[in-house]
Amino acid sequence: MGRVKLVTAIVKPHRLDEVKEALREIGVNGLTTTDVEGFGRQRGHTEVYRGAEYQVDFVPKVKVEVLVPDDEVQGIVDAVVKAARTGKIGDGKLWVTDAEQVIRIRTGEMGPDAL
Amino acid sequence: MTDPIVRLREELAALDRAYSPGHHGLWSARRRAEILDTALTGLFAVADSPPGMALAAVGGFGRREQLPGSDVDLLLAHDGAHVSEVAAFAERFLVPLWDAGFTLGHAVRTPAEAKEAAADHPDAATAMLDGRLLAGDPDVLDHLRAGVLADVAGDPAAFAGTLRTAAHERHERFGSAAHLLEPEVKEGAGGLRDVATIGWLELATGRALLLPGERSSLEAAHEFLTRVRSALHLETGRRTDRLVAEHQASIAAAMGFADEPRLPAVDGLMRALFEHARQVAYLTQSVFDRVGPAPAAGRSAQMRPLAAPAEILTMAALAAEDGRPLDADELGALSASPRPMAGAWSGDAREAFLRILRAGDAGVTALEALDRLDLLAAFLPEWAQVRCRPQRDPYHRFTVDVHLLDALARMGRMLAGDVPAEDPVAAEAARQIEDHDGLLLGALLHDIGKNGEGGHVAVGERLAADALERMGVEDPTRDLVSFMVGRHLLLPDTATRRDLTDDDLILDVAATIGTPERLAALYLLVVADAGATGPAAWTPWRRTLVRELVAKVQRVFDRGDMGAELADRLTDRIDRLRDLLIDEPSREVERHVLRLPRSYFLSVEPAQAAKHFSLIAPEVGAHEVRSAAVEGARPGAYGLLVVAMDRPGLLSWIAGSLSLAGLSIRTAQAFTTDDEVAVDLFEVEGAFEPQIHEGRWREFRSVLRKVLEGRISLDHRVDDKRRHYPPPRRPSPVTVKVDQQASDFFTIIEVGAPDRIGLLYDITRTLADLHLDVHLAKVTTYTDRVIDTFYVRDELGRKVDRSGESEIEAAFRARLGT
Repeated sequence: MGRVKLVTAIVKPHRLDEVKEALREIGVNGLTTTDVEGFGRQRGHTEVYRGAEYQVDFVPKVKVEVLVPDDEVQGIVDAVVKAARTGKIGDGKLWVTDAEQVIRIRTGEMGPDAL
Repeated sequence: MTDPIVRLREELAALDRAYSPGHHGLWSARRRAEILDTALTGLFAVADSPPGMALAAVGGFGRREQLPGSDVDLLLAHDGAHVSEVAAFAERFLVPLWDAGFTLGHAVRTPAEAKEAAADHPDAATAMLDGRLLAGDPDVLDHLRAGVLADVAGDPAAFAGTLRTAAHERHERFGSAAHLLEPEVKEGAGGLRDVATIGWLELATGRALLLPGERSSLEAAHEFLTRVRSALHLETGRRTDRLVAEHQASIAAAMGFADEPRLPAVDGLMRALFEHARQVAYLTQSVFDRVGPAPAAGRSAQMRPLAAPAEILTMAALAAEDGRPLDADELGALSASPRPMAGAWSGDAREAFLRILRAGDAGVTALEALDRLDLLAAFLPEWAQVRCRPQRDPYHRFTVDVHLLDALARMGRMLAGDVPAEDPVAAEAARQIEDHDGLLLGALLHDIGKNGEGGHVAVGERLAADALERMGVEDPTRDLVSFMVGRHLLLPDTATRRDLTDDDLILDVAATIGTPERLAALYLLVVADAGATGPAAWTPWRRTLVRELVAKVQRVFDRGDMGAELADRLTDRIDRLRDLLIDEPSREVERHVLRLPRSYFLSVEPAQAAKHFSLIAPEVGAHEVRSAAVEGARPGAYGLLVVAMDRPGLLSWIAGSLSLAGLSIRTAQAFTTDDEVAVDLFEVEGAFEPQIHEGRWREFRSVLRKVLEGRISLDHRVDDKRRHYPPPRRPSPVTVKVDQQASDFFTIIEVGAPDRIGLLYDITRTLADLHLDVHLAKVTTYTDRVIDTFYVRDELGRKVDRSGESEIEAAFRARLGT
């Protein structure tokens, strides 16, 4: 049985549609997205509206998670990176981890069969 | 002979089958109770009961509301003289029923035990109030029930308080049957237990607590809720009282709902259910308020019927302004008054309606009361379509009408200065608003287009315009309301889906919105709308993005980068450009309009921009340079357009190539498209002769190509060139200003220097050394002095940081002198 990897990417909210489209084009059938907040090099800052100041501690991003068979990881990573990149600060991060067990809950299928 | 319990089961099953699952209403429930009555009485007769004991039906069975899945609630009342016989009888009597699969609720009590149980458990008290004799000693049951009733009737207010607490806990736990998409039709607010609660309160007070009209709507709701709950029991084959989505379609079909053009059958079922449950919920609350001393009679006699439609609204407005709900007399007068005719409103009606809207939460209560009497939709026919209409999406918790009224209430609170502490933006926005009526109407009508047609924003804009026309609301309020309805998704959609670091996007949003007041109005509507939608709609995530957009658009207004006038000019110029490019494929023209920065269209005349199209629109290759020269406005001046993929240093290479070709730059404007193509416009003159012949243009193109290919270096050649020219005639100081405030997206560098050959080359070379990317540039020559302005970002697309500022100044001074 082949191994399964979890590809997790933190991307700019407005790149989500491009990422989804890029993944769809290379045949990825399912993904999970979550609205997340955090900071990296792009720190929190003070925002001002008509003199009213407020602190923005975290930058809104979208987390995209895709479970993929081991041998398809690179294609998917490349597609996400390409679709999410704007070249400006805050384009986000991507990482790949081992998914030790993957089970399709309805059928009990395991590993790559569960994808 | 057939076993009586088996026969009972058969009879009950036959009743279940006798009608389709959607037609088991109160009549069927009563019939089910009667079947049980007969069977249980018969069983009691042969069960050898001890003396001093009665068998009673209690709870729903006592009220003869026995639904297909209901428990059979029984009470064995006894006088306490034969305790062990009663216990033995209970077992003898009940066990066969249990064994046959009946779900029994039962209690064995003496009158004294009953009083105690009633005092401790309100449910026990109400169940026994519903008690009626099935068999046995009537005196024992009368005695028991009289004791329980005396306790509650002795202090109806205390009893009402107990029931109110219980109802509150129940509603907290089960939610509302009046708007939840998966309502609990028994225990939820507006459900069947609320109907029963009204009955218990009337029993305890010994008087009618409902107006005649209210009584009939309660009865209709009782029948409908009973049918839904019975259908649910029959559909699922068990006692379950939550109408989950899975069963809604089959129950809608069973109850005779069919798809309508703008209302699917399931939504028709839910709408009807919500309408009834809403009446029940309201009447339950009203009845709790009416328990207490009976009001002195008399006022209703004085209350004359309302003649003019405006009087209906005025009555509601007066109550709302007093901060109180409409009282029973007023409701009576309202329900007796003739329906207003559809059509234009009188000025009095409009003013009264606006007074209701201005009255805050009490105004919303008044609108709810008008709606229950079907008056709101009579004034505002558009309301009928959103009334009790479910919304099936992950965010909305409420029906469209409840959502609109909640948004109105929230808007009213914000305009009154009641803004959550964590939203300083809303507080500041509320202070900007002068036209409160416009914002209140905008909140009330923003989703009026959710009538099942689809495309609710466009539909809503049309419906709102019609409604405002009939109301006689005039500009500028009418215009503001239409704008709010038509654009209520602009901020959240843009903020969550578009790149907020794109300055042109912000300019476009500013152009669409037009004024700071409208920006504030839209933000407040977003807050009211999201708050009224549900917790998932206004997360910190969304709030941060929407506020970032609002702050950036506001700063565009503050700086005068965009306003109503500029927006008009921009629209006008782009429209004229479209006209001029009418023969080009429209998709490419639209792409062109989106690609170029707004500043390009604002500074380049449409006639000239049209000539640029063929040079800019086709895709530009990585090493490709396109250029075109035209004669300029003044004699001896020429316009030059250069198009190439943008890269650090490009502007300096063009400037240097121009200098080497003997062309001197009078003005320059540099733009960058959204796909990083540089569009650079120069006004040049011949450095040696007034006429520029093709030879010079050719020389320029040839030098530039060689520079781009890295075949020649410009630095020493420009230096060399400079030696052949005299120094500036009138020396003036070099000035360097770095402005971080004027743009959210760029650092703006302004360099002033005496004019000389190769100056623009030196300046842009310096920017390239600093790895600054020029997004926009404007070069102007005033006789002997040049002022150059550059909008720059660093390689990561950021503004220059503090430490970079002094480096910029030092670099310019080193290259240009002082």
